Formats: sequence, C-alpha cells, structure tokens
Amino acid sequence: MKRVEIRLSLEAVLPLIAVIREAADSLSDDLAAPNSLGDIEPDLREGWREDLVSAQNEAITVLLALFDETFDESGVVGFDADNAEPVLRACAAVRLRLRERFLKALNEEVLESGDLEIESLQEPARKAFMCYLFLATIQELIIQHLDTSILDG
Amino acid sequence: MSTHEQGSPSSAGATATALEPRWHVAVLNDPVNLMSYVVLVFKKVLGFSETEARRHMLEVHEQGRSVVWSGARERAEHYAFALQQWHLTVILESDEAR
Repeated sequence: MKRVEIRLSLEAVLPLIAVIREAADSLSDDLAAPNSLGDIEPDLREGWREDLVSAQNEAITVLLALFDETFDESGVVGFDADNAEPVLRACAAVRLRLRERFLKALNEEVLESGDLEIESLQEPARKAFMCYLFLATIQELIIQHLDTSILDG
Repeated sequence: MSTHEQGSPSSAGATATALEPRWHVAVLNDPVNLMSYVVLVFKKVLGFSETEARRHMLEVHEQGRSVVWSGARERAEHYAFALQQWHLTVILESDEAR
C-alpha cells in the first residue's frame, strides 16, 4: 500500500493544531458547506442532513487523529489509502469553517490564490489563514500522491 | 451549459422518465475548495474523465456554476448527496422550477 509520510516543524504546526481542533469541534452539528437543503423532499431532508453531518464528523475524527501524542513527539503524519479520502474531505470542511468564522473579510481572489502577506492580518485571522493554507497543502499532497487510491477506493 | 447524462433507460423506463420532470445537479462556485480537489471529486463521484472533470471545474470557476448531471430525480439526489459529502455547494433543480 502506498504511504506518504511528511515531517512537519512542531514549532510551526503545533500552534495551528489548536485552531484546527477548535474549528473542527464547532462543526459537530453543522454542515461546513452552505448547502441549502430546501430543494430536497421534506420527508428526506432531516435524514439527509443527519447523514451528511455524521459523515463529516467521521472524516474530521480521522483528520484529528493524525495529530495525536505520537505526532507531538515526532512531527510525522502519514497518509495512505485508508485515510486519504476522509482527510481530504475533512480538510475541505475545516477550511470552509475557517473561512466562515475568521476570513470573511478576505476577498475571493485571496482565498483562491492564498496570495497574501500574513503580517497584514491581525489575530485570530492570521493564525486561521495559516491553518487554511496548511490544510490546503495537505490536500495537495494527497491529491498529488494518492489520487489513484481515492479513485479506486 | 453542459450536462452529463449517464445510463440508458429501457424503453419502459424511458416512457416513465418522459412523463416526469428532468432534474439537474448544479455545482456552485466557492473560493475555498481547490481546483484540483474539485476535479478529483468530479472524477470520483460522477465518473468523469480528467478532461470532462476539468471542463466542468472551469465552468464552475468561470461562470459560477455547472450542471454536472441531469436525469431522474432519485439519481439526481444520489449525486447531490455524494457531492455534498465532499463539501461542494450543490443545488437540485427541476425543469418545472426553471
């Protein structure tokens, strides 16, 4: 099974993990994407929403499990066919939540390109934007190295 | 606006389908999800080729939306749900509502 491991700077990443956890926790009963379920049949709607929230929570659990006590010591995270898809989806969910909570003032061009002087932001937006970029980097790594595993899975 | 039709209904199914409104799964643009991510999701969920997935992704990006599937309601709901699991912003529309 193909596995990708990356060693991260604990000094740089540990302060971000708390922000990611907080954003992830805030999603426990909310959907990250602003989907209107109004066009779904009413008798289907609540079950639909519950299933989406449940899938979202499962994926977020997999993402947060990457940053356990072992990571706190080694700084290493690993991706493989088992966790690539949920981590990818969880990164999307947390990025959407970070945008909603901390980065609404940024225009869409900046959010798409990530091209911004971090120093121009005040906290908590500064750290949130760093998390936003960090999670995008994880997504890019997974897509670059494990897309076949996801498509075949 | 382009659509992606999957499956070929039997003649009986085609008669039934002709009497029912056609449903469209439209993906809306968001500035958060990566282009490469959206391409992967289209390939995974809808079975698009790389070329087809990129074409729809660019349509979403440049025009704000792309209809990625059209057909019977039940299947449209299936695809909408699957795309929402990947946190894309999706709406379902019927010909009647247009």
